[in-house]
Amino acid sequence: MSRMLSIARAVIADCVRRRVPYVVVLFAGILAAAIPSLPDYGVGVEPEVFREVALALMYVAALVLSLALAANRLPSEFERRTAYSVLSKQVSRWEYLLGTWLGLSAVVAASVAAFTIVVQAVALISYGDFMWVLWVGTLSIALEMGVIVAVAVAVSTVSGPVVVVVASALILFVGHSRSTLVGGAGATDLSLFYPSLDSFNIMLPVAYGGGVSALMVLSMVMVFVGLSGIALLLGVVLLGKRDL
Amino acid sequence: MEQANSAIRVDGARKVYKTVGRSPGRAAVDGVSLEVEQGSIHGLLGPNGAGKTTTLKMLIGLVKPTEGTFKILGEDSTSPKGRRFLGFLPEQPYFPQHITAMQALRFYGQLAGVEKQDIDGRAVELLGKVGLDGTERTELSKFSRGMLQRLGIAQAIIGRPAVVVLDEPASGLDPVGQRDIRNLMLELRESGTTVLLSSHQLSEVEAVCDRVSILNAGKVAAEGHIDELLNISGQTSIRVRGLDELPAAVNALAGDVAVSGSVWVFSVEDSAVRSVVDAVDDAGGAVMSLAPKRESLEDYFARLIASARTGVAS
Ligand SMILES: Nc1ncnc2c1ncn2[C@@H]1O[C@H](COP(=O)(O)OP(=O)(O)OP(=O)(O)O)[C@@H](O)[C@H]1O
Ligand SMILES: [Mg+2]
Repeated sequence: MSRMLSIARAVIADCVRRRVPYVVVLFAGILAAAIPSLPDYGVGVEPEVFREVALALMYVAALVLSLALAANRLPSEFERRTAYSVLSKQVSRWEYLLGTWLGLSAVVAASVAAFTIVVQAVALISYGDFMWVLWVGTLSIALEMGVIVAVAVAVSTVSGPVVVVVASALILFVGHSRSTLVGGAGATDLSLFYPSLDSFNIMLPVAYGGGVSALMVLSMVMVFVGLSGIALLLGVVLLGKRDL
Repeated sequence: MEQANSAIRVDGARKVYKTVGRSPGRAAVDGVSLEVEQGSIHGLLGPNGAGKTTTLKMLIGLVKPTEGTFKILGEDSTSPKGRRFLGFLPEQPYFPQHITAMQALRFYGQLAGVEKQDIDGRAVELLGKVGLDGTERTELSKFSRGMLQRLGIAQAIIGRPAVVVLDEPASGLDPVGQRDIRNLMLELRESGTTVLLSSHQLSEVEAVCDRVSILNAGKVAAEGHIDELLNISGQTSIRVRGLDELPAAVNALAGDVAVSGSVWVFSVEDSAVRSVVDAVDDAGGAVMSLAPKRESLEDYFARLIASARTGVAS
């Protein structure tokens, strides 16, 4: 356990040294530049549009960051053989994999939190409102990225960054297409077992005030635990089998 | 618990690498067994591609063995728990670029189970020991090949392991560095640590190893003390200086004559040594050294390969 945390800490420190915090600064810059063009407070529906745009921007930024960090993390560790000095100690491969996932997910989550603070600041300036409801969006994006990072890390135990990005994009696509791909309930209703990411669809309740319930949050957390668990388990099995 | 005094024990190690799209190739390691006594230094010698690295990686659990059992101090070393007494230097070690030497050793120290309050002191001590004093705050991207090698040795022994496995420890090191690592290995043995190292250089192992296993084409070709394996009995190698040519009396007895400037190296029967030395003296030359004639590793390998071809068991 402590070894897993050491590995996670090393991953976080490495991300910080790779200037990941600049991504947050860049994000803040984009939003700040947009302030003058934001509609004035009090003209009806505009704060909703602002929230929608902000959440979409956060989502894309978080996704790009997740894939940029996770896709090449393990492949480069294996290719440059930096993993040898870690795995030759009393460290199991699962500790190494989980530590890596934990570190990367923490970096992404911290970045999304920082984005949210930036968005809140802009909201306060433009609309005089902290828009605390945005944090539900933050949680949802952070959890969904946790799943994506788990998928990316798992696939990257046996393949290079290109395959990882394609596989992750595929999972995202499939995960958000339950209704189109499976359709309505029928005699063979397997939709219960569909690896759906729909629980993370929070645009309506958060941006348009559709109401945020505890059940919604709970279902997000459960989907996060279930899907990242499955992905990580697959990663552990794949990594356990391969030669380094 | 049996064989309590063998620190490392490899039995019937075999590895066939999977090659994508092709039928399984020949075994990279084929039935290798090793036994290293506690507190000794054991060399794994062999030409490029002999299977040294593959054998060590299977021992450490980095490569999945096709067959074989691997034990360190009686425990399965392919499982994490069985590696708790182990320190390993990979071949041509490499580390994350953007951290300092100190940060790297702190990280490896934590993984090796060094107590938190001891880590910094231990890291500084080790940097000094491997000749990297004053580089605590240097980023590893600024390290030379030899400096990375030294850091690799430091991370291998940071947890004071009872067994140390070094894959080509001298590679990339200058002569001073090679001497340092030799002394370090002797120091480790002094403190009761067991060392297994691989090399393709005879000079690297002959000065320190208690025993060697010679690996060729994935098999152990010979095992024993290096003198037993390589000394050519009954022959002495002589090096002399200050002669433009060898006296006729010497010339008649000398074999394998090599000359560079006024320095001559040749070998004679042990029984002729006294008369040859006298003859060199009379001719105005000076004897620089007398040593048992030893086969070069290259010759030894060449002979092994030839005997393998003709199917003669050695
Ligand atoms: N990952 C791999 N995949 C396929 N074949 C491999 C792999 N690693 C090594 N081999 C093959 O296994 C054989 C033994 O290689 P190994 O690296 O163990 O040799 P070595 O004795 O360490 O050589 P060197 O002195 O060059 O380090 C070689 O024929 C090599 O081509
Ligand atoms: Mg090698």
